[in-house]
Amino acid sequence: MKEKLYKKELSLTVIFVIVLLIFGHFAQVFKLFPGLQHGHLWGFPVHYIVPILMGWFGLLIVTIIMAVLLNNFDDEMDEYTGSLEDK
Amino acid sequence: MEATEFVLPNVWLGILVVLALFGVFYYVGWWAAKKTTSEEDLYAAGFAIGPVTNGLAMGATWASLATFMGVIALIYKLQAPFVYLWIQWALSIPLLTLLYGTCLRRMKAYTPASFIKVRYGNEAAYVIIAWLCLSMVMYALGQMIGLGMAFEVLFNLPYNYALIIVGIATVGFITIGGMYGASYNAAFQMIVMIIAMVVPMGAIMKFMGSSGWWFPPLAYGDMTAAMLEQVPTFFDMKYDYRWYFALIPAFTMGPIALPHLAMRVFTSSSVKTARWSVVWFILFLGLLFAGAYTAGFAGNYFTATTGNEIAKADQTILILNVFYNPAIVAAFVVGGAIAAGMSTINGNLMAIAGLVGGDLLGIIAPQMPGKKKMRWGYVALAIGGVACILLAFKPPKFLVTSILWAFGLLATTASPGILLGVWWKQANKVAMIVSSVVCGVIYIVISPHVLSGIVVGKGLVAALGMSEAMLTVPLSFASFIILSLLFNKMEVSAPTIEDKKMIDRIHGWGSDYDEKRYNGVSMPAVLVILSIIIFIWGLQPW
Repeated sequence: MKEKLYKKELSLTVIFVIVLLIFGHFAQVFKLFPGLQHGHLWGFPVHYIVPILMGWFGLLIVTIIMAVLLNNFDDEMDEYTGSLEDK
Repeated sequence: MEATEFVLPNVWLGILVVLALFGVFYYVGWWAAKKTTSEEDLYAAGFAIGPVTNGLAMGATWASLATFMGVIALIYKLQAPFVYLWIQWALSIPLLTLLYGTCLRRMKAYTPASFIKVRYGNEAAYVIIAWLCLSMVMYALGQMIGLGMAFEVLFNLPYNYALIIVGIATVGFITIGGMYGASYNAAFQMIVMIIAMVVPMGAIMKFMGSSGWWFPPLAYGDMTAAMLEQVPTFFDMKYDYRWYFALIPAFTMGPIALPHLAMRVFTSSSVKTARWSVVWFILFLGLLFAGAYTAGFAGNYFTATTGNEIAKADQTILILNVFYNPAIVAAFVVGGAIAAGMSTINGNLMAIAGLVGGDLLGIIAPQMPGKKKMRWGYVALAIGGVACILLAFKPPKFLVTSILWAFGLLATTASPGILLGVWWKQANKVAMIVSSVVCGVIYIVISPHVLSGIVVGKGLVAALGMSEAMLTVPLSFASFIILSLLFNKMEVSAPTIEDKKMIDRIHGWGSDYDEKRYNGVSMPAVLVILSIIIFIWGLQPW
C-alpha cells in the first residue's frame, strides 16, 4: 500500500509539473512547430489567442483536476496513516 | 505625431477615489488588528483564510503595479512576445503549491525560510533569508516608486512629497492589520483591480469600433485585420526558440521561491483549501491579465489610428481612459493601479516581517516569548516599509530597472534549496550554502547591471536576466546535487535521521518513516543531465 501511495505521489507531481509548464508556455509549441501558426480563432491569429486561453482556462482546468486528485490522494494518505495508528 | 501625457482632468475626483480606497484599507486594518493576538495571526492570519478570499488575495499579491503600467508599456513597445512572457507568471502559485506549498503548510511554516531553518540549519537559513530579503526590498521598492509616481501624476505633487504621503499611508494600514488585514485588504484590492482594468476597457473598445466590447479580455478579435493594417508586426513571434525556453529558468523558476507568494499558500485554512485557492487564483488572475493584454493591444491601435503617440508607455491605460472615458472612470483606473501596487507591498512587507521577525529572531533569540516576538515582528514590518520609502527618494538605478532580473536571482539562489530540500533526503546543508552563494554571485557578476565588462548575452535578454538564468539556474541545481552526494560521502554535514523524518512528515506520512523514500539518485541524475544540456545551450552566443 505505502509503495503504491509513494509512486502515486511522485507520478502525480511529475505529470502535473509537465502539464503546467506546457500550458503556461504554450507559445513554445507554435515556435517549435511554425506550421501551426496559420489560421484564426475568434478573429485572432491562433498563435496569439491559444497561448492566452491555455494560460487561463487551460490552467484553470488543470488546477481543478489537480485539486481533486491531490485532495483525494491526501484522503488515501490519511486513511493509510490512520490505519497505522489503529494498529 | 503628437505626444500624449496623462493628466487627470479633475484632481478632486482623484482625491475622492484615493480617500475612499484608503478609508476601506484602514477600516480593514483596524478590524484585523483586533483579531491579531499571536505570531500565527500576524504572519499567517491564524492559518484560517478560505479559498475564494485567498484566491483573490493570491492574485492581488502577485499582480503588481506592473500589471497596470509595466506590462502594458512592454506590449506597447515590444508587442506579442511580451504577452507570452506575462502568461507564464500564472504558473507561479500552482507550481509553488504543488512542489512545496502544501508540504510547508503541513509544518505550519511562516515563510520558506522557516523550512530551510529546520531542514538545513541556521547557517543555511541566514543565506536564504538574506537572498529573500534582498528580493523583497527590490520588489517593494519598485512598487513604492510606482505608487509615488502615480500620486505625482494624480495630484500634480512633487515626487518626494507624493512618495512620503503614499508611503506612510500604505505602511500604516499594513502595520496595523498584519496578515489578517493584508489578506482581506488584498482580496478587496483584487476586486478593485479587475473592475478598474476590465470594465473601462469595454467602453474604450466600443469607441474603437469593436463589436466585442461586452467582454474586453477576449472579444476584440474583429479588430485584428485593422491592427495588422496599421501595425503589421504586432502578432509576430519574434526571437528564436531559446528566448521562449529561457522564460522557464528566468521567470518561472524564480517566483516559486517568492516568500510573499508562499505565505499566501500558508495562510490557507487547510492543505485542501490551499489547492482550491489556486483554482480561484487562476480564474481571477487570468481575467486581470487578459484585460492587460487588451489594454496593450488597444494602446498600439490607439497610436496607429489616432496619430497620438503615447509619450510615457507606462501611462498607456491611463491615457486611453482619459481620451475615451469620463474623468471619474480615469480616476478609478488610477485607483486600481494604486490598489495593485499596495497589495504587492502588503505581501512584500509581510514577508520581510516574517523573515526577520519570525525566522531570524527565532534563530537569534529562540527563548523569546511569543508576544515579544510578535512586537518585534511589527517593528520589522514598519522598518522594512520605512527603508523602502527612504530608498525610493533616490533609488539606485539598478534596483528600479531590475525587478524582473531579481526573479532569475531567486531561481538561482533559493528555488533549488527549497525544492530539493522537500523532495530529496540527500540534499546537503553545505552543498546548499555553497551552490546558492557561488551561483548567486556568478549570476550577479555576469549580468550587465554590476560589472558591465563581464556580460553573458546582450540587450534585453541580459538586462532581464534571461541569458544569465540559462546558465546559473541549471548550474545551481547540478552543483547542489553533485556536491550533496560528495559531501554526504565525506560525511560533511550529512542530513541527520531527524532531517529525513521531517521530509516524510511534511509529505503526510506522519510517523511512518521509510529510509528509501525520497532518497533515490535516478531523479537527481536526470535533473543533472538536463541541467548540463541547458547550461551548454545557454553558453551559445545570444
